[in-house]
Amino acid sequence: MRPTLGNIEQILQALEQEGYIADREIATAIYLSIELHKPLLVEGAAGVGKTEIAKVMSQALGTDLIRLQCYEGLDVSTALYEWNYPKQMLRIRLEEGSERTVEEKEQTIFSEAFLLRRPLLQAITHHRAPVLLVDEIDRADVEFESFLLEVLSDWQVTIPEIGTIRAKHIPYVVLTSNRTRELSDALRRRCLYLWIDYPSFEKELRIVLRKVPGISQRLAEQIAAFMHLVRRLDLQKVPGVAETLDWSLALLRLHRDHLDRESVEETMGCLFKHHEDQRLVRGPWLDAALAAIHEAQRDGEGLARALSRIERTLKA
Amino acid sequence: MRRAELGDLTAHVVAFGRALRAQGVLCGPGEVADALRALERVDVLDPEQFRLALRTTLVHSHHDLRIFDALYPLYWSPSPPVESLPENGEERGALEEPGREQGQLSMERWAEAGEETEGEQEVPGYSALEVLSRKDFSNFTDRELEEIGKLVVAIARRIATRMSRRMQRARHSHRLDLRRTMRLHLRWGGELPELAFKRPRIRKTRLVLLCDVSGSMDIYSRLLIQFVYALQEAVGNVESFVFSTSLTRVTPALRSRTLREALDRLSRTVPNWSGGTRIGASLMQFLEGWRHLLDPHTVVVILSDGWDTGDVEVLHRAMREIRARSGRVIWLNPLLGSPGYQPLTRGMQTALPFVDVFAAAHNLDSLRALERTLVARRRRIARRE
Repeated sequence: MRPTLGNIEQILQALEQEGYIADREIATAIYLSIELHKPLLVEGAAGVGKTEIAKVMSQALGTDLIRLQCYEGLDVSTALYEWNYPKQMLRIRLEEGSERTVEEKEQTIFSEAFLLRRPLLQAITHHRAPVLLVDEIDRADVEFESFLLEVLSDWQVTIPEIGTIRAKHIPYVVLTSNRTRELSDALRRRCLYLWIDYPSFEKELRIVLRKVPGISQRLAEQIAAFMHLVRRLDLQKVPGVAETLDWSLALLRLHRDHLDRESVEETMGCLFKHHEDQRLVRGPWLDAALAAIHEAQRDGEGLARALSRIERTLKA
Repeated sequence: MRRAELGDLTAHVVAFGRALRAQGVLCGPGEVADALRALERVDVLDPEQFRLALRTTLVHSHHDLRIFDALYPLYWSPSPPVESLPENGEERGALEEPGREQGQLSMERWAEAGEETEGEQEVPGYSALEVLSRKDFSNFTDRELEEIGKLVVAIARRIATRMSRRMQRARHSHRLDLRRTMRLHLRWGGELPELAFKRPRIRKTRLVLLCDVSGSMDIYSRLLIQFVYALQEAVGNVESFVFSTSLTRVTPALRSRTLREALDRLSRTVPNWSGGTRIGASLMQFLEGWRHLLDPHTVVVILSDGWDTGDVEVLHRAMREIRARSGRVIWLNPLLGSPGYQPLTRGMQTALPFVDVFAAAHNLDSLRALERTLVARRRRIARRE
C-alpha cells in the first residue's frame, strides 16, 4: 500500500507546511496523480515552481526524492545503470593467476556487485516508493523519451547480463518540461497534465511573504504588483517566481523598504537577463508603473483591485 | 463518490470527451476512463473539484487546455445542455471560426484540382509580377513531379542532419568507448587487444514549416503543400502550419499515408483557404501557441510571397522573435524567380532583415539551388537583398 497525502484539502495544507504555496489546481493534480497511480507531467514557463512540486511531494510523503536531470544526449547508461569499469578491471587483474574459466570470470564481474545504479534503476529498486523526478524531459532526445515511456509502463528493466529487474514499489513520478521540444503524444497520454502559469498577484504576494522572512507587507505588495505588471510587457525573457524571490532578497539586503527608480535600477539584474528587456523597463514605463503602484497603495485602494486599472493606464 | 452514484454522469463525460476529440484534442477512451476514476475520488458536487478532475485527466497539453477551457462552460454550466450538443464527432461545436464554410468549400475545390486538367486553376488577381512567374510550378508533367519528389527528399535530408552529442560506435575517434572496450578485453582473457571508440551521432534538426495558402499563393500552394508533405515524410521531426488570415496546424493531417489522403484531411481542417493574407497576425498566433517549438536547433521555413494585408508592426515583432529563438530562418518566395522581381512589398521589406536565407521556390532549378544554400551555416550565408 503506497502512502497517500489524504484529500485535496489536506494536500494543500501539507504543501503549505513544506513552504509551497499551491492553489487548488496544483493540489488536485497531485492528489489525482497519487490516487490514480499515474505520472504527473508539469509544464509551464521557467521559474514557476515545477521542480519544487516533486521536492515538496517527497517531503510531505516522507519519502526520498530521486532526480533524473535530462539533457541532450542523455542515454540509457547514465539514466539506468552502468558497469563499474575500474572495479571490473581490478577484479580481472586480481584473478589473473586463477584457474577460473572466462565464463566464470565474466559471471563475477557482470553481477550486481559491479553495477552502478543510476536514477531510474534506483527508483524502481528503492526500499519504499520514492518520488522520481524526471526533470526537463524535453531536453532529452526522442529516443530517450521512448525508452522512458517503456520503463514508466512496465516498471521493469532488463539488464542483459543479470536479467529482468521488477519494481518493488511503484514510484510517484513527476515529469517537468519547459517545452523546448514537443513531447510525444504517447508520453503525454501516460501522464496526468498540469500547467502552471505565472502566479496571480495574491499568490505571488503570499509566496514572497512566506519565503522572504523579514520583508514588510508594504514592500512585498509593491514587489508582487510590479511583477504582475512587468510580465505584461513584451519581454524576451519573462521573469518567474524564482526571479521575484531573488529580487526580494536583494532589495532586503540593500535595506530598501520601498520601490523607486533607483532601487529598481540597482537590482535590475535579478529580474532581467537581456539587455533589451532592461532597456525597455528602464524607459518611461518604469516611472508610470511605480507612480501608479504607490498611488494605489497610498489611497488604501488595495493593489489587487487596482492592478487591472493600472494595467490599462500603462497600455494607453 | 462511487461509480454507481455517478450514473448518468458517465454518459455525459463520455460525450464531453467526444466533443473535445471533435475539436482535435487528443482524448480517447483511456482519458475518459481516467476522468471517471478521478471523479470517483473527488467531491463531484464541488464544481471546482469536478472541473479540475476533468481538466487534469482529459487534456495533455497547454494548447489543448485552451480548447478545454473554451468548451467546458458550454457543456457543464450553468445547467449542462447535454442534449443540444453534437451527437457525433463530425459536427463541430461552438468553436467554429466564422466563414469557415467558405474556407472549406474552396479547400475542397483545391484538393480536387489535381484531377482536373491542367491550366484550369483560377488566376489570382494580384500583380503583374505574379503573372510573370506563373509558368513555373503551375504546369508540370508527371515526370517532373516525380523528380521534384526526389529532390524534396534530398533537400529534406540536408536540412535535417546535424551533429549531436549522442554517441555511436566508430572505428576511429578521440573518444574511448569504455563499455565496449571492457567487453573486448574480456573476450581476450584480460589483455587489451583493441580499444573501442565512439563518436557523436547525427542528430535531427526540427523543422517548422509555415506555408502561406492565401489567394495570392493559389498557384503555388498545391506544390508547396506537396513539398511540405514530402519533407514531413522524409524528416519526421517536422511541424507544419498553413496560414492565410489565421493559422492552422496541419502536422497531423499531413501524416496521412498518401498525398491524396493528406489533402482530404487538410480540406477538413483548414479554415480560410485562399483568403486574404495577414502574415504578421498568423505568425503571432504561431508564437502564442507554439513558441516552444523554437530553439537553436530549429529551422523555420516560411513559404510565402510576402503580400501582407495586415499590420506591418505585428509582422516586424513576430519576425524578430522567430529569428531570435530559432537556429535559422528560411524564406521561400515563389516570386523571387521572376526576372526583375524586387522584394518591395511592405511585408517582404519588413521580414527580410530577419531572414537568413531568402530563396526562390518557383521551379526545379530554384529548389536545387536551395539545396546547395542549405549546406552553409548561418553566419556564412550571404543574404540576397
